[in-house]
Amino acid sequence: MVTYIVRRLVTAALILLGASFLVYLLTAASGDPLAEFRASSAPNKQQLMDSRSALLDLDTPAPVRYFKWLGGAAQCLVPFTGSCNLGKNIAGQPITDALGHALIQTLTLVTGAAVLAILVGITLGIITALRQYSTLDYGVTFMAFLFFSLPIFWVAVLLKEFGAIGFNNFLRNPEIPLPVSLGVAAVLGAVAVVVAGGDARRKASTGAIVFAAAAAVLIYFSVTQWFKTPGLGPVVIAIAGVGIAFAVTLLTAGLRNRKALQSALIAVGVGLVLYFVVQPLLDQATFLMVLLLAVAAVLVGMAIGYFMGGYDRGQSMRAAAITSFLVGFLIVLDRFMQAWPAYFNNSRVRGRPIATIGAGTPNIEGDFWILGLDSFTHLILPTTALILISLAGYTRFTRASMLEIMNMDYIRTARAKGLSERTVVMRHAFRNALIPVATIVAFDIGGLIGGAVITETVFSVRGMGFLFLDGIQHVDPNPVMGVFVCVAITAMAFNLIADLAYSALDPRVRVKA
Amino acid sequence: MRFSRISKAVGVAAAAALALSACASTNGGTTPSSNAAGKQGGTATVVEVNAFNTFNPNTADGNTDINSKVSYATHSGFYYIDNQLNIVHNDKFGKMEKTSDDPLTVKYTINDGVKWSDGTPVTAADLLLQWAAFSGYYNDADAEGKAGTSYFSYAGDPTGLALTDFPEIGDNNRSMTIKYSKPFADWEIALGGPGIDIPAHVLAKKAGLADTQAFIDHLKSMPRGDAKAPKTADAKLKAMSDLWNTGFDSKTLPSDPSLFLSNGPFVVQSINQDQSLTMVRNKDYNWGPEAKLDEITVRYIGSSPAQVQALKNGEADIIAPQASADTLDQLKALESQGVTVEQGNQLSYDHIDLNYSGPFADKNVREAFLKTVPRKDIVDKIIKKLDPEAKPLDSQLFVPAQPAYDASVQANGSSSFADADVSAAKKLLNGATPEVRIMYNKDNPNRVDAFSLIRESATKAGFKIVDGGLGASDWGKALGKGGYDATIFGWINPGVGVSGVPQIFRSGNGSNFNKFSDPEADKLMDELIVTTDRSKQDDLTKQIDKKIWDSAYGLPLFQSVGVDAYSDRITGVKFMPNQTGVWWNFWEWAEK
Repeated sequence: MVTYIVRRLVTAALILLGASFLVYLLTAASGDPLAEFRASSAPNKQQLMDSRSALLDLDTPAPVRYFKWLGGAAQCLVPFTGSCNLGKNIAGQPITDALGHALIQTLTLVTGAAVLAILVGITLGIITALRQYSTLDYGVTFMAFLFFSLPIFWVAVLLKEFGAIGFNNFLRNPEIPLPVSLGVAAVLGAVAVVVAGGDARRKASTGAIVFAAAAAVLIYFSVTQWFKTPGLGPVVIAIAGVGIAFAVTLLTAGLRNRKALQSALIAVGVGLVLYFVVQPLLDQATFLMVLLLAVAAVLVGMAIGYFMGGYDRGQSMRAAAITSFLVGFLIVLDRFMQAWPAYFNNSRVRGRPIATIGAGTPNIEGDFWILGLDSFTHLILPTTALILISLAGYTRFTRASMLEIMNMDYIRTARAKGLSERTVVMRHAFRNALIPVATIVAFDIGGLIGGAVITETVFSVRGMGFLFLDGIQHVDPNPVMGVFVCVAITAMAFNLIADLAYSALDPRVRVKA
Repeated sequence: MRFSRISKAVGVAAAAALALSACASTNGGTTPSSNAAGKQGGTATVVEVNAFNTFNPNTADGNTDINSKVSYATHSGFYYIDNQLNIVHNDKFGKMEKTSDDPLTVKYTINDGVKWSDGTPVTAADLLLQWAAFSGYYNDADAEGKAGTSYFSYAGDPTGLALTDFPEIGDNNRSMTIKYSKPFADWEIALGGPGIDIPAHVLAKKAGLADTQAFIDHLKSMPRGDAKAPKTADAKLKAMSDLWNTGFDSKTLPSDPSLFLSNGPFVVQSINQDQSLTMVRNKDYNWGPEAKLDEITVRYIGSSPAQVQALKNGEADIIAPQASADTLDQLKALESQGVTVEQGNQLSYDHIDLNYSGPFADKNVREAFLKTVPRKDIVDKIIKKLDPEAKPLDSQLFVPAQPAYDASVQANGSSSFADADVSAAKKLLNGATPEVRIMYNKDNPNRVDAFSLIRESATKAGFKIVDGGLGASDWGKALGKGGYDATIFGWINPGVGVSGVPQIFRSGNGSNFNKFSDPEADKLMDELIVTTDRSKQDDLTKQIDKKIWDSAYGLPLFQSVGVDAYSDRITGVKFMPNQTGVWWNFWEWAEK
């Protein structure tokens, strides 16, 4: 194992050296660094060209410059000396500083999108696999490929036009005309018909219920101007909480496990009581506090499950813990909604909350909730755009993997043993289906950092992609190399992790030295 | 038993609540009670393409548009340039006067009460620092850069101030007088504006000098640098110039406030790296045009469509995107929601130049070729879609924004090249069919279009046109190297000042790529750059313009179109052709 890792690391280092040499030469040869001065009529043109040449060290041939750069970069390998030197960009900023900032910008942009795309993609993949060749399967496949093939700059511009500008206009007077409410409800009802399983009657009734509920909710929203003062309130949290309790129990323990169901329901009850208790505390929230509350919620859930006992304590604990976490999430969501009017009327936001550019409103001041909402309104569009285009891969991959597993002999054996379908799917199939998906996820995280160039440009986020493009534009290899090294190292590290994870997850695969 | 368990649970919960409130934020909850702060004084958000990165916009590395604009809003000086390209003096700041023509002597006097935002008065020491940096007086580095020191890395042209001796400081450090060893045409814009941006007292302190008097004395004690006899670097001046060169570089707000002192209408208040920069009004400022807004926020958006959408969404109030047909269409569509779109001509212009060699050594051939250039068609096809009223540019030295343009156009003979005249060209060619290689940037669609139109027309007259287009990174290097007979590319008219004229048109100068040489024009240019009177400068420039046209040098084609747009919240924004852009009158911006 160790030999294997060492061998991989050595290969990676060699690849990195070779690739960086190539990228450096390509960047240096990609254009004329003095282009902006060539046709200049400035009397001190020569002086400006000389100073740019000196800055970029153009008198040294590119291959030699590479080794100079490498000498500085190699110091980054020595820890704690702080002598890491990746050169400077044209504005005189050290690349290490620029990279640090750009990395944070990019990670803020892509992290949420990546996590959500993975969660939603895997879920959709499993559902479509279980309902192979159903309308739902075809529908999801169609949508996945549709979004996959849309160019992101176009999706992003449309999202800005409708999701930000259109929605903000709507918020000025958030009344939904009745035909629109009915139309949206009808669409949702139709989706429900497709999603719902069972015979035609059951499908029809599900569709009708969803249509009626959605129409009622939308009309309620319109009449009460809910979008101006949104909120869930204890009643909605209670109803949603009970739903969550049933769903979570169904997935984790099965509804037949009454103790687990009771634990989950008690967790919802406790959550409702705590809803009122924590409100004053939440008014002074910090990120750390919300994090601790989340941990506390999980612990409380586990405690509830533990005390409820039953023949399988673990299942009760799991059901209650997940439920209480989700109820806690609803409470926090509700608190964010309470802060919405203040955010909406903030003099910096001026009633147009959803943003088209940047990562935050300049100079906005406020508490945790206001600032949280500000990040949310800035990140929602780029996140949506990134999710839409990366969903397809995960969905299709999980579906394929799940289908393969579901046809395995051991699944048939499990069914023959008399195990419930839930146990077969969740315990035997799902976990094994995730093994190949895990490797894909690892690969994708490696490519994530450098992969959002267009999204960054459209949403005006100066992350890694911007640094890269800016370097190319000025024919300045330093920023390009900085980005390249970061992206290459993460990609290689995650490739290695993917391989190791594969062998850890799948006992049939062994790493041989 | 049961009760005790519950009470224990309550106790634990209470303890937990206490623990959690301990890590609560100290500022009380401001929400959900509605925000009572209400509307603040006027604010505006301006969009810029590049991100701010230094408080000293004069260095070679820092002299990007955004740094200059921020410096312009936060500093004041003896003059600024308005959108008619006039030099407007700011007498509230101080007086800049020419006290003698021979030798040219200029006296700068700073008014009492003008001060930096830390309370220190702005004095002649600050002006002296600017002079030391801009003139390169102390530099003694030799051409190879092996010996000697180059202190201040100034991005501008030092040739004017290099003619001056060490200035005379007077009036209790309020005035400074510089004497030029020979007259310098652009003396009015050589020093002292539009902003005096770097405080001498900060540099002095960092270099270990007691005060600004010590600073002045120290500079006075040093002789002019001589590249032929380089000396060891002066430690104090080196420390100060190093600070001047890089010490003001920052992408975030420095913790040391002396690094971003203001003496203008605004003070930088906060910087969000690579996202935005906010300036608030300078409370003390009363020595110049006073701003109406309380706060200006600059946001950086690179792509033009994103700028337009930000304006549409209310995130930006003033934008000046790259003008293209698409952008203009998008902006025009916003006029219904109250957005005002302003268009105008910029100072950059495309032109075709002919080499004075090869087939074009003969003036008749040059003239014949120029007769075939369809300038009207070129403007129609390339620029009319952006600006329906666009006309070909008719002067090599003036732009229509300058008052002297019309007179120069009438006299320079451009009217005979107003549009293609193939038959006249044929007559001049007299049956010859010269082969002409035209070099241009083939990655620039406008230049490609211009080339195609010229080729089509010139071929009719009998020219054999060879496509010498080169890629974006190669065409610049090929300029002046030969290998082509004509070239289409762009110049930028300086707008104000005449120092740039000889650089392009004088025999043997650096940017004279086509080797134009006219002894009379050379003489006029030599005279021009030592003429300090502006109306005389215009006269001379007009004569040079005519000489250039008479020699069938080439043809200016069209000016680039610039655009800016602002929302219905804001008034007072006005188009400006030069690189200051809409910022030129930022003090007139106001909320409606």
